[in-house]
Amino acid sequence: MQTLAWILVSALGAAAWGVVALHRGETISAAWLVLAAIGTYLVAYRFYARFLASRVLELDDRRATPAERLNNGRDFVPTTRGVLFGHHFAAIAGAGPLVGPVLAAQFGYLPGLLWIVFGVVLGGAVQDFVILFASMRRDGKSLGQMAKEEIGPVTGIAAMLAILAIMVILLAVLALVVVNALRDSPWGMFTIACTVPIALLMGFWMKVWRPGRTLEATAIGILLLLAALVGGRYVAESAALAPLFTASGTTIAWLIIGYGFVASVLPVWMLLCPRDYLSTFMKIGTILLLAVGILIVLPPLKLPALTRFIDGSGPVFAGRLFPFAFITIACGAISGFHAMVASGTTPKMLRREGDALLIGYGGMLMESFVAVMALCAAAVLDPGVYFAINAPLATLGGSLDAAAETIRAWGFAVTPGQMQALAASVGETTLLARTGGAPSLAVGMAQIFSGAFGAHLTALWYHFAIMFEALFILTTVDTGTRVGRFMFQELAGHVWAPMGRTSWYPSILLASGAVVAGWGWFLLQGVQDPLGGINTLWPLFGISNQLLAAIALAVGTTVLVRSGKARYAWVTLLPLAWLLVVTLTAGWQKLFSADPRLGFLAHAAATAAQVAAGTLDPARGARLIFNDRLDAAVAALFMAVVVLVVVSSARVWLRVLQGRTPVVSREAPFVETEYAV
Amino acid sequence: MRSDARGFFARCLDGVRRVSGMPDYAAFLAHQRLNHPDQPVPSERDFFTAYVTARYGDSPTRCC
Repeated sequence: MQTLAWILVSALGAAAWGVVALHRGETISAAWLVLAAIGTYLVAYRFYARFLASRVLELDDRRATPAERLNNGRDFVPTTRGVLFGHHFAAIAGAGPLVGPVLAAQFGYLPGLLWIVFGVVLGGAVQDFVILFASMRRDGKSLGQMAKEEIGPVTGIAAMLAILAIMVILLAVLALVVVNALRDSPWGMFTIACTVPIALLMGFWMKVWRPGRTLEATAIGILLLLAALVGGRYVAESAALAPLFTASGTTIAWLIIGYGFVASVLPVWMLLCPRDYLSTFMKIGTILLLAVGILIVLPPLKLPALTRFIDGSGPVFAGRLFPFAFITIACGAISGFHAMVASGTTPKMLRREGDALLIGYGGMLMESFVAVMALCAAAVLDPGVYFAINAPLATLGGSLDAAAETIRAWGFAVTPGQMQALAASVGETTLLARTGGAPSLAVGMAQIFSGAFGAHLTALWYHFAIMFEALFILTTVDTGTRVGRFMFQELAGHVWAPMGRTSWYPSILLASGAVVAGWGWFLLQGVQDPLGGINTLWPLFGISNQLLAAIALAVGTTVLVRSGKARYAWVTLLPLAWLLVVTLTAGWQKLFSADPRLGFLAHAAATAAQVAAGTLDPARGARLIFNDRLDAAVAALFMAVVVLVVVSSARVWLRVLQGRTPVVSREAPFVETEYAV
Repeated sequence: MRSDARGFFARCLDGVRRVSGMPDYAAFLAHQRLNHPDQPVPSERDFFTAYVTARYGDSPTRCC
């Protein structure tokens, strides 16, 4: 009976892939993408993930987990499977799986779909699962600590430096997504501005007035947030209030920088923790809503399976399908950042070893599904509309008419009237060149929601989608800045001991300032970039995230080899090899491509030529050239660190295989569980 | 019947609290009473502060 059910699931998944494959050049329903993805996830979970759990990692329910042995009622707490799944999912899923697939839709929906679905079952979910397992067997040690212990101290410090650098790029690019979504949008700006006083109110509620009443405070916060969302419309329509909340990109960037600094310095209960609660609830709620919406509407995909831009001439970002589709979509397929969460709070909460399968592997499948839904939301847009929103203004031409002309030359139809009507229907003055993915995702989501729950609320749905994305991106910005601050303090503590004192105020201010200045620099660079910044920063973020995944997979492989499981090392080596090929190729092209749209150094040379010819202001030219060189240096640094980590890991693997290093497990010793098995 | 419904509701709220990583003072008290009856009991406010400070400490709780 069970076998029959699995044959059915496999056949259904295969049939859905068949539909996707055979209907090229025709419009198909999003249902087929969703079915193909779910069918693949189920088969992979039932067969591959079970194989990993029982043969490769040998999960053992009789072995007590750190949560059981070290239970302290605070961070080490045995937690039921379902609850921990939700907790872990809320921790790993953020803006990444929503934005990446939308940007990669410039190649059409097919490359993104294939990479998201097959990347996750063979790469991303394996990485999360293996790292969660390794950390669980080592009392919840972090990725950095494991790198240090399993590979060596130099690798450990290199990995930590890489993590800090990645954090800086990540925060800059996510903040840039928010800036582009809120630029000249009084409605969005008002709603997001309101989240700060709402969070403060919640913070004082939970800490001072009604200690510990977190749910109560959050319920009030959510109600106020929805009120702010509705109120935003009146602000946008009011002649007196709208100008107060209309801000340029540069102004918003400075506001976010200031916010990040303050949130990192203030006690967490005041701002950071209440915002985190708000965004967690909004995130889970909206993702459920999106899934329901897609399943009710089953919208037709208007974007073609493949576009002409696979040749690298695309306006959203430069570069060919290989390697850039695999860089642009990181989260959703494989995301190195997850290794930090999988070696952070989650391993300390697993009640049984066997639960790691559902949480580690299954949690990542769920994130991948979110990415598929985001891809669908982008693909329901008319291609012409998609490119009008996502291409930079400098490429499109300054006016609606010029943009329509440019897009027609690319082979997609869009009229100025259509763009105007669309902007008006979502309560914005313009949607032209709102790069960064969030606005086009919001338009797609608004269309799906309106189809499912009534068309008269389109503008409200659009701003709801913008609010929810901005909300949890800003939560990543403040928690990320804080984590970056701690890392900076730890690294600086090696140089000058007092800097390592994490609660010493001069050190806090200095370290927070340094981290904020780091991502703030890249953010401002992106805001002032004539091509919109996403062009440059998103690939850099993708490369850094994938390289962190490579570090995590190298650590995972080392853990397998050192515990005598070398014959199964291919489960992590395979995705590692693919990531190295993809990221090193992409990094090389970003550095040395002769195309100034793609290569940092070529762009610097082209800018220098413009200055020499007198067509560009020398001061501005000098700044652009400096930024190009800085980006090139960052890309080179990432590549160097990864090569270092992989080479030093490979030396460890060889030593173990040749018998020069004994096979010694660094796992915490076996203790039998007291729970019923 | 009524107390069952209330118990179910309370368990749901508890699940929601844990999914979003909120502190659970009652569970902490129960844990302390059982395992460390000799230790002083922190007030709910102190527990809350200590919990969130540790949670949003030096390791990322949220990914991209």
